[in-house]
Amino acid sequence: MSAKNNPTIAEKTARLNELVAWFDGDEFELEQALDKFTQAEKLAAEIEHDLLELKNSVEVVKAKFSEAS
Amino acid sequence: MATLSLSVSDFIALTNQTLEFAYPSIEVEGEVASFKVNQGKFVFFDLKDSGGSVGCFMMAWQLRVPIEDGMKVAVTATPKLTPWGKFSLTVRAVRPSGEGSLKKSFELLKVKLEKEGLFASERKRALPEVPQYIAVISSTQAAGYADFVKILGDRWGGMRVDVAQVQVQGADAPDQMIRALRYFNSQETVPQVIVIIRGGGSADDLSAFNDELLVREIATSRVPTLVGVGHEVDTSLADLAADVRAATPSNAAQLLVPDKHEIIRATRAKVAALLPRTGQAIDRQRQEVVGVLRRALVAIDHRHNDHQDQLASLRRVLAQLNPRTVLARGYALVRGQAVVGQTIEIEKQDILITAEVRHVSKK
Repeated sequence: MSAKNNPTIAEKTARLNELVAWFDGDEFELEQALDKFTQAEKLAAEIEHDLLELKNSVEVVKAKFSEAS
Repeated sequence: MATLSLSVSDFIALTNQTLEFAYPSIEVEGEVASFKVNQGKFVFFDLKDSGGSVGCFMMAWQLRVPIEDGMKVAVTATPKLTPWGKFSLTVRAVRPSGEGSLKKSFELLKVKLEKEGLFASERKRALPEVPQYIAVISSTQAAGYADFVKILGDRWGGMRVDVAQVQVQGADAPDQMIRALRYFNSQETVPQVIVIIRGGGSADDLSAFNDELLVREIATSRVPTLVGVGHEVDTSLADLAADVRAATPSNAAQLLVPDKHEIIRATRAKVAALLPRTGQAIDRQRQEVVGVLRRALVAIDHRHNDHQDQLASLRRVLAQLNPRTVLARGYALVRGQAVVGQTIEIEKQDILITAEVRHVSKK
């Protein structure tokens, strides 16, 4: 449901997990490590920001349940 | 005072009108005796105490909790005189009264529903990991509801939370909760989970959650259900029928969503762990380079030693071939032609001799 430029928290978390896995994987290259680390740091900050910003929308439904309709 | 003159039927009708006007709805408490169900439809029993007894009649579908002889109950009823002149209570609702009866009724219904498999673990469905749309059935005035909403908001955000305002105790509570369950289950976009919550209370307060029809409605809900009623020690049949049981409303919020603060901590830790990992990778790389260099040095050293050995060997050979070595062993070096009368030079280790050839012969 997310646009490519507006990923959800779940998508960002998945991307972060991919980055973390890269550090443990066979594709790890020292030359790319700094760039990948910077990306991970940025994603983590975005996830934290998103989590703290999001509020629930609590609404009492209009339907009445006191009497059978 | 005028005397009314009536037929029997009119008298009965007038009596019933009078009773209905005077007592449109009464609650009578007493002990159940002679309980029986006829044709699976009609329920008869007497309600008695130490001073008297009154007959009761009701339809079987109106009986929402199991009762049996000896149980203390409160009935909501209208008094009525039957065409046969028998006075009875037409009962609309029965609720067990007193702790013993509540417990007995709870156990009877529990056994019945358990036999039907309503509480079977294989019927339980998992709740969504992180729901985006949830429905809540509760009284918005209840403390348990406030706790739930607060903890939910503290732990997670971005959810749509639709709340059905219902009574969570009293005679009307089960039907209201049933209607709310049907409402959410019949929406075009159904919520991912329906949460039913209520804070603590007496056994009587919580008895609405042991209503047979409500329990069945929870068990057949197409949307997964989470029930958190009362305190940790309270168990209702609604709890048992739900897909997931929470100990309290607060616990329901904890079970429903992850804690964002924990996720933030874990995310930070995950990223922080990358630096040591990079450091370890650098160390591994460095050790690899040092190892290669060390192996190269060892190889150079071996080559050097080989050359040294070869040189020494050659030196020994050269030393053997040196004429001075031969002279030192006592031999002499002769220069000149072996012709009689010719002068020759004889070199020994430490002297030179000039001599004349006097005689030459073959050996």
